[in-house]
Amino acid sequence: MRSRQFWMVPITVALLTVMFAVAPSQAEVYKMALSLAITGPTSDAGNPYAKGVEDYIRYVNDTKLLGEDTVQCPIRDDQYQTDITKRNFEEFLDDGIVFYLNYSTGSTQALKRDFDEEKIPVIPASMDAGNLVDSTYIFLPIASYSSQCIALAEYITKNHKNGTPQVAMFIHPSAFGRGPVDDVRKAVKAGLKMDIVEVVEHGKDLDNTAMLQRLMSKKVRYVICQTVQSPVATLIKDAQRLGLTAKTFGEDGKLTFVGAHYTGGNDLIELAGSAAEGYFWTTSYALTSEPGKGTDFQMMLAKKYNRDEKTANSHNYTNGMMVAQTAVETMRRVKQKGGKVTREALFKELNAMNGDNAYSPGNTVAPVTYSPSDRAGVDSVQIYSVQKGVFRAVGEPFAPEYVEKIKK
Amino acid sequence: MSYFLQLVLSGIVVGSIYALSGLGFVLIYKSSRVLNIAHGQIIAAGAFITYTLTVWGGLPLYLSFFLSMGVTFFLAMSVERIFLRRLIGEPIISVIMVTIGLMSILDGIIYLTPFGGSNFSFPEFFPKTPINLGPVSISWTQLVGVIITFILIGLFSWFFKKSTIGISMRAVSDDQLASMSVGISVPRVFGLAWALAGMSAAAAGGIIGNITGLNFETLHAFGIIVFPVVILGGLDSIVGAVVAGIIMGVIQQFASGYLDGKWGLNGTADVLPYIILLIILLFKPHGLFGTHEIERV
Amino acid sequence: MSANRWLATGNFFSSYREEQRIFATHFDRAVFAVFILALLVWPMCFEVSNKYMLVIDNIMIAMVAIIGLNLVTGFAGLISIGHAAFVGVGAYTLAFIARQMGDSHILITHFWPGMLLLCGLVGALFGGFVGLPALRLKHLYLAIATLSFQMIFQWTINFLPIFNQGQTISIGRVQWFGGEVARSDHYLFWYYVILIVVIMCGLAVRNLLRTRYGRSLVAVRDNDRAADAMGIHPGMTKVFAFALAGFFAGVAGGLHAYLYRGAGIESFTLHQSISYLAMAIVGGLGTLTGSFWGPAAIRLLDLQVENLVEWSARFMPANMNLATALKPLTFGLVIVLFLMFEPRGIANWWRIGRTYVKLWPFRY
Repeated sequence: MRSRQFWMVPITVALLTVMFAVAPSQAEVYKMALSLAITGPTSDAGNPYAKGVEDYIRYVNDTKLLGEDTVQCPIRDDQYQTDITKRNFEEFLDDGIVFYLNYSTGSTQALKRDFDEEKIPVIPASMDAGNLVDSTYIFLPIASYSSQCIALAEYITKNHKNGTPQVAMFIHPSAFGRGPVDDVRKAVKAGLKMDIVEVVEHGKDLDNTAMLQRLMSKKVRYVICQTVQSPVATLIKDAQRLGLTAKTFGEDGKLTFVGAHYTGGNDLIELAGSAAEGYFWTTSYALTSEPGKGTDFQMMLAKKYNRDEKTANSHNYTNGMMVAQTAVETMRRVKQKGGKVTREALFKELNAMNGDNAYSPGNTVAPVTYSPSDRAGVDSVQIYSVQKGVFRAVGEPFAPEYVEKIKK
Repeated sequence: MSYFLQLVLSGIVVGSIYALSGLGFVLIYKSSRVLNIAHGQIIAAGAFITYTLTVWGGLPLYLSFFLSMGVTFFLAMSVERIFLRRLIGEPIISVIMVTIGLMSILDGIIYLTPFGGSNFSFPEFFPKTPINLGPVSISWTQLVGVIITFILIGLFSWFFKKSTIGISMRAVSDDQLASMSVGISVPRVFGLAWALAGMSAAAAGGIIGNITGLNFETLHAFGIIVFPVVILGGLDSIVGAVVAGIIMGVIQQFASGYLDGKWGLNGTADVLPYIILLIILLFKPHGLFGTHEIERV
Repeated sequence: MSANRWLATGNFFSSYREEQRIFATHFDRAVFAVFILALLVWPMCFEVSNKYMLVIDNIMIAMVAIIGLNLVTGFAGLISIGHAAFVGVGAYTLAFIARQMGDSHILITHFWPGMLLLCGLVGALFGGFVGLPALRLKHLYLAIATLSFQMIFQWTINFLPIFNQGQTISIGRVQWFGGEVARSDHYLFWYYVILIVVIMCGLAVRNLLRTRYGRSLVAVRDNDRAADAMGIHPGMTKVFAFALAGFFAGVAGGLHAYLYRGAGIESFTLHQSISYLAMAIVGGLGTLTGSFWGPAAIRLLDLQVENLVEWSARFMPANMNLATALKPLTFGLVIVLFLMFEPRGIANWWRIGRTYVKLWPFRY
């Protein structure tokens, strides 16, 4: 008994020494944060997005990607309300975050000035081109909605036979939907050969028959959708029922539906069923229906953290993952260069992410490039179309030309 | 011309769904003078239950449709029993607020299920080809939806007019005290009204779910759009709900068909019902078929 | 009147004038003065994080709005399911000026107290206008009219380019004695401004209720036909109530726009209107103190649920849905439970507590 107690003393001393020796070994914690809509409007996108970010950060910490250092990324639900986003952001600032991930267009633009004043790099989930106006610290993950719509317009003009394509736009009744319309118009003015016949803002319509007939009577062949999945699903269901959906791209006398990032994905197929067949969609992400290295990693990640099938295959999960990857990669680069991970350093590093330094997260169709004049991450987009219930890549990823042309 | 007819037909389709949604609303108001703001959530719940039974339970659609009506029957009845029974005789605002609270609670419960955060759609049960009636066309899903709507509305009207329970419900809505004195259990009638409203909500949910797919936001929005409908029809009139529902559907179609895109207008279908609502409230507050209340000091 | 002006254990009023006094005893007045002083001094003694200062500011703005809502719903008995829209009218008044004249126009940065007043007046104008149906309508119908105003407001803001189609319109920082209020002082500065506004509004309403206009509101609520017979015009009284509510809401909206440095439609939706109603109910309808308790209770509850969610997320990280569902669930439960078990709201607990202290050591 006595001897055991005797041994306890040196063991304790040894343990304490080890602990004290280990403790100041410079294991730093990098703080970033995410505020998004997990409940409320657009929660169907926000949910997998949050999981993507969460899983990747956990993966970084579990596999020691940043060595002994860890990343901390609290995720907060803001129910799509700007007030709550602001509160979350202030709290994150009090915590001393060095990188911030935001979500909606509304809150990104509302907090724009705070980002600039705080000089904190931000990547929002919203790819609205307006986010970049009058701001220097907001970085879009991929090409803006405007670029996506212009890419779609270019794709239409390139693949349309017999004359000038007649196009309608089907948009969300908000700035989110209306934003790209002007840019597409500018592109048309700059020489893109197509006619924008009509811009339709949808409501909560249950039946679009009459609208479709009107478009048909105006000889419209293509509908560019810039909204969320649910109204698109109703639209293409109606078109299918009326037998107006084109079987092949640009089929004469039929309508071809094309759409930007938030109109597509597996959610659309789930909502529209077989009516989604032949729907063309553009995004800059690689999809799990077109397996590759990036998507394998995504599936692995989802499996590692027990996500269900639906989440694992969601492009919003990819989206969240990619945003987290970009943030962590920036931290890694700063660290690698021996710098201290601060807001300024991260901002500088993000702006240097181009040329040879471009970053390929693997789940995008082209590398992420940022520079002081280009704060949209992946500039290229990939066109996908639904074939037999899954999205298949169509052609090669390309960067829309008119995006640069309309800037002048 | 065919464009016009198509707008009318689409309006009728949309309108009859409004009618069915409004029906539950009217049932509750008629018997217990309660404005049920949580109606949209019950519609959504009905749609989700139908989906669960069909897709995950493997039941045929018609069976799960009726089963979900049964489930919401008891759901709505217990809601009335637990939350609203205590509030009989309380001021109106308390009762409205309870239904608002209920709305939040149901929201919370639905967020617990997979339906809260993601989209689903029913497998296709009906032929995908449209039914062409001359220049206009309608889908099988829509047609079946409209037929079911009218059957249900017919049944409910018959029930109110002819059956003993229906007559006692009408008596309660007319005069609670008098109906109590002839031996009608007023609380039971309230419970039954809620239960029937729950049933009709489930039916509406099932039909809407088949037409639009299952998205929680889209579904519970029907709880708000029924307001203009029932006000136009008169808050306590079943016939009113049907007529007003169809009028509102046609007006919305006309708005998006003729107004949108002109004079820079857009999305008028979403706001027009509320403008009409205000106008009706100003000039004919009891709607087309509502009962005029005479108040005495 | 009791001999001791400092302490009174019972009702010693001998005239109506005495009953109408704001402070029944000197002691009450002293406690109130100390309380106000404490509110003014405490931020200088403690270091408060920006987040909590924002939360406190936000609660106090809600108090201003709820004072208005309580006037129309609590005192005049007219249910308003569109209060957030009135708050929005105030905020968008400011935003409209910012958009027309530039967001750092001298009007906005230097004359902000005047702008707040203007926001209130525009709010009152819209309030009165929306209240017009009250000349004909009652009860539920009126509630639905306010609901439709809410929907039309949302559509209008979303549609019109002059309101930036619902996207945020920025508003510049204000000036205070020559210097711009910087980011580090922003929340503290607005704390004091809002505090003063809250105190002014509270006193204004307390005084209003002592006048014939205030009493006519209550008379119309309790029985509008009887009020009519006594020579009160029920319709005009209701319009007046709506205009007043619109005024307070408008001021709250202006404060909101300044505090958040911009106005966006997300802050003024139907969801917010419902939130406001819940605050009024939980606080206690038809009481002035209720207007203070309600916002504090609901907002803090929200925050606590959030903390609980964060805490629980450590144990069930894969089930975020479960955690986030708690928010609407608790919100709804609180409303329902209050209505079922304490329809007079927190203000009633406050009253009971006060009586207990006053009568101590005696009790009923």
